[in-house]
Order: sequence, then structure tokens, then C-alpha cells
Amino acid sequence: MASQRVPSVFQSLPLRKRDFHNFPCLCSCRKASTFNGMTELSEDVDPSSSMQIPGPSEEHLASFDPIARSKRRKRPLPSSRYKFRPPKYYRGPLHPHQPPPPTAPESREFIPGPFSLPRLQQTYHSTFASDLLTLMYTHHPPGTLPGPSGPRLRSWDGSSPYHKNRPLRPPRGGPALPLLRRPITFRNIPRLEKIHVHSFVKEAGSDSAHLHVAGMIMQAITNVRATVFRAKHTIANFNLRKGSPCSVGVELRGEDMYNFLAKVTEVVMPRIKDYQGISGKSGDSNGDIGWGFGPDTVGTFPEVEINYDAYPSKMIPAVHIVVCTTATNDKDARLLLSSMGVPFYGKHMN
Amino acid sequence: MPLIAPLRRACLPSPSIPQRQCRHATVLRRPKRPYTFTQLVTLSDGSTYTHRTTSPAPVYTSTKDTRNTLLWNPSSQKLLTAEVDEAGKLRAFRDKFGRGWDARRMEEKDAEEGKEEEEEPGEPGEPGKEPEEREDNLMDLISGFGLEAEGKGEARGVREGKGKSGKRKGGER
Repeated sequence: MASQRVPSVFQSLPLRKRDFHNFPCLCSCRKASTFNGMTELSEDVDPSSSMQIPGPSEEHLASFDPIARSKRRKRPLPSSRYKFRPPKYYRGPLHPHQPPPPTAPESREFIPGPFSLPRLQQTYHSTFASDLLTLMYTHHPPGTLPGPSGPRLRSWDGSSPYHKNRPLRPPRGGPALPLLRRPITFRNIPRLEKIHVHSFVKEAGSDSAHLHVAGMIMQAITNVRATVFRAKHTIANFNLRKGSPCSVGVELRGEDMYNFLAKVTEVVMPRIKDYQGISGKSGDSNGDIGWGFGPDTVGTFPEVEINYDAYPSKMIPAVHIVVCTTATNDKDARLLLSSMGVPFYGKHMN
Repeated sequence: MPLIAPLRRACLPSPSIPQRQCRHATVLRRPKRPYTFTQLVTLSDGSTYTHRTTSPAPVYTSTKDTRNTLLWNPSSQKLLTAEVDEAGKLRAFRDKFGRGWDARRMEEKDAEEGKEEEEEPGEPGEPGKEPEEREDNLMDLISGFGLEAEGKGEARGVREGKGKSGKRKGGER
């Protein structure tokens, strides 16, 4: 039945007819591949094809006038008729209704911003960056090459015959290789990458109120909703069961990060009694420096202080702050942070 | 319904070994973000800047920040000489015994500085003289008290002055 209707379809469509004339070989090819096969497999295969669907009829084409139709409309269309509505569920990559990427404003996961250019960020770009470049730059006169750097992996001393063909020895102190320090140029001046603020709540197992208060305070001081972390393993000494919520944390980037660090250095740290600064030994030797604040210091954050009565004073948590920088060693990271007003004391390691 | 529930639970396959491939839908939750206000921060030296914060106060005036803390201004003579009296103990002492002890301490300090300056020319008699001078001055200061109180007050005063100055120096460093 479908094969009988084919000629009528081509006759009714002038545009398709023209195509047919222009590319006769293409059409004949298609005919050979599809139509012959269909005649053979007519019982098993559905013979209908998109090529065989008739186009719009003449009356339909004549009646199609969207502008006139929209003018005839008395009230505007509801937004659901023309707005894209992202799906609430992601149903896998093969589903026809795909959610837009989180960077798209219509996405459900979209986070708008930044809404301001923080003062610390401006100062970094206008002042600190060039100063840091000056301090960290190593000049090699033209025509000279920097000296050869030492081997990263140690070799075996050859005292034993079994040392032959062994892989090289790992560095002292563990198998992890420290990051290489690239020469600092205007392209890779160390900058702030992100700040992690987290708080392990000891009492979370017995009373979840502590966790709630910690989350509220964390949100108040960082402007970001806190995430609850669950214990990975059961540790009897810490009263931890696997899967039980035990801590809250926040990852700050961009505007929030600069606001938070500026607040900590300008307002919070100077109010700590007998404060020396951050230990010079702090850091993971790869450019991330961390420190902690006790509950009494967390209580002096301006956002907590203004609303201090809202929080049960015994449940105010202590927080750990880890500042991740793009510097690859702690020395550079410390220089960056001290330019931003973070004081350091004691012997500076690495 | 209560009859069906246990049956269904019994029929469920164990979660560790999936019987067949399945792709459940993942909820795309809208991120929760606290409302933030723009706040004007006024530092103690009068400089201001704005930042985004969850605090609803439009202006935050700080009394103690990097501009008036010794750790951030190690060369500031004004902050170095500032006296720490948060518990009000020094004020209470002054209310009770007057400010004569302050003056004494300042003189001592001046004398020490002068001594340090004059060390190079060399004056061996100076350290020997000083206790006598101090004693005289203290006697003048506590002349209003009884004879028995003199010795005590003097001893206490000297000890306290010394202890305080030492403590202060340690704290500053």
C-alpha cells in the first residue's frame, strides 16, 4: 500500500520533485537500498518511512498564517507555551528532554553572580599581583639557561646486585612527588583558588542540634549553604559510625572567597586576644595553607556577633580554614597570603 | 496495603547485585543560597568599603581591626605605647593610689633610654646610683602614708612595676 502511494506523494510536492530531478543518482541509490529490501522483508519490517509521509496539503498551507493568528489572540500566551522549562530530573544521556548545562541561566542548577567586585580582588589585581611577580621572578640574562635541576627520583646506590633494573627510588618521606615550581611569569602569578571552611562536630552523633547550629553559623559567616559530610568509616574512639553525619563544610570560590578572606584578616583576626598569627609550619607543601579558629573566635565574626543570641552559645563550632592557592609551594603561598594581610609567626617551613 | 508491603520487600532483589541494568532519574535540585546584603564596613581609621554579607546591618563599624592592632602595625609608636587595660585593673589601681606610679615608670623608661644612649661614653656610677634615686622618689610619693606602710608600699610598688614592665614587653613581642 505504501509503495502504491509513493508516486502520488512526489506529484503533490513540487519542491521534492525538483530535488528528484536535480539528484537522480542519489534517489536511485536510495531506491536500490530501501525499496528493494522492503519488498523482500515486507512481512517483518514496517514499510512506513519518513520519506513517504505526505507534506502539508494546499489548504493547510493557505491557512497557515502565524502572524495573523497571534494578532487575533486576545490575551498573551501563557509563558509555559513558549518558555523552555528545564526538566526536574536528569534521566540519562539518551533521554530526549535533556537538562541544560548548569552555566545556562535557565538551568535549575544555575547560580547567578558575581554581583560585586570585592575589594581584596581589586587590590590583588591592581597591586599585589605585580608585587608578587617582582618578588618571585628569577631573571636569567638572555643567552643563559637556568642551571639543571636535580633529579626528582633518587637512584639506587648500587651496593647490592639486586639494585639492577629497579625503578628509581621515591623521594624521602613518602611516595608522593612534590609539585614542580614553574618559573613565575606574568601568566602564572599565584592567586587564590578556593577556600575550604569545615567543622567537625563531635557531638553530632548524640545530638544533631550541634550539626544544625554549625551549618547555620557556617552559612552566616561564608554566605554559602553548608554541606553535611558523613563518616566514611566507623571509628569507635570518635563515636563515629559509617554513614552518620559528622561534619559540615563549605567550599568558597570567587566573590565569596575574597569577601571571606578579607573579613577574616581585617576584622576577625585582630580581635583575637594575644594573637600571634598563623604558624609558619602550616601548609601541605603544595601551596595550600590552613589554620583554625576556636568557638570564641567564631563568635566574633560580625555576622554571628550581630545575632549572637540566636545561636546556643555552647554549640558554636570551631572551624578549620584551608586556603588553596595556585602556588605550587608553601613559600609562595605564604607570600601571597601575607600580602593579603594574614600574619605568620615562627619558623617558616618549605 | 499492610499485607502487600512485606510481600514486595521479600520480592526485591538485593541492592548489591543488580538484576538488570536500570537508570534512575537524578533530581536536579535548585541550589540553596542565603540572602546577602551589601554592608558598608567602617574600619577604625575611618576607611570604608562595601562587601556582601548575610548580616542585615547596613553599616558595620569595627573598633579593633588591622589598623589599630600592633601585629599589623609593628612600627607604630602610638600602638606600642598604648596600654592594655581591658579588665580595668590599671584604672582601679589608679583610682586607689593615684597616677604617681605611672610617672615613675615613664621616668624610669626615659632614664633607661638615656642610659642606653650614654652607654658608649661609659658611666660606671650610674647603675649604682639608681636604686637610691628610686627609693627617694618612692618615699616622696608615699609620704602621706604611715611609717610602717612605707617599706611595704615601696617594696610592693617596685616589684609590681618591674613585673608589669616585664610582662608588657613579653606580650608585645
